[in-house]
Amino acid sequence: MSSVNGAVPTTIIVAGLALAGYALLMTALNRRMSVILLGALGVLEILLLVEVGIIVAKLAGGTHPASLPTLIGYLIAMPLVPVAAGFWGLLERTRWGPAVIAVAGLVAAVLMVRLHQIWPIIHV
Amino acid sequence: MSEPAASSEPAARADSTRTGPGRLLVAVYGLFALSASARAAVQIATKFGHAPVAYVLSAFAAAVYILATVTLAVGSPVARRIAIVSCSVELAGVLAVGTWSLADPATFPDATVWSGYGSGYGFVPLVLPVFGLLWLRRWTRRARASTG
Repeated sequence: MSSVNGAVPTTIIVAGLALAGYALLMTALNRRMSVILLGALGVLEILLLVEVGIIVAKLAGGTHPASLPTLIGYLIAMPLVPVAAGFWGLLERTRWGPAVIAVAGLVAAVLMVRLHQIWPIIHV
Repeated sequence: MSEPAASSEPAARADSTRTGPGRLLVAVYGLFALSASARAAVQIATKFGHAPVAYVLSAFAAAVYILATVTLAVGSPVARRIAIVSCSVELAGVLAVGTWSLADPATFPDATVWSGYGSGYGFVPLVLPVFGLLWLRRWTRRARASTG
């Protein structure tokens, strides 16, 4: 039941790194927050929510990882990352707004790797 | 459409340690405050006897990160002073615990944020307090220049 679902985490890693790269470029070019960045952040949020749904479905299927509390912590924290970054980045009217978004992209990618470490049936 | 900021200089004048580059700093500090405290909470609640020293240090690190995040985000003169102390403690902590974890791995069967100088977190825990202190020093100087 598991290996099919590797596509979503992989997509999140690619999307997160792409977002981080684009956001850092905007910082380097001294640009402020843009609609494009917010849209990309929204896409990342949707992907993360899909991944949360997939994991919850796996948990509902009866299996669970060695450290269930850690996984639940991740399920709660994951969807908050783009929201918090968007909020905090929008408060900033300089190049450092996109820099905050870059962090969110990197964190999303790292979270996928950590998820796999917490529960190896979540493929990357 | 995004347009270039009017000027890269203090045009978008930073009015607190939470603005400008501080926005990024507070974001990363907040991230570590959250992940360190969640990790410490899970470790202490579920398996404290397994590695008590490591878990107490995890909790201490979490407290330091929370304090640094809040004080950098507040940015008042008093908060800046507390932030300098917490960033210094953090730097000392990551150096001390990093060395300790390498010298005496038996005490650390499970990792803390600061084990191996933060190697499990891409060494960000080692770099973060340095940037924090540099950023705070700029503010201390600016405050001194405006009062003296």
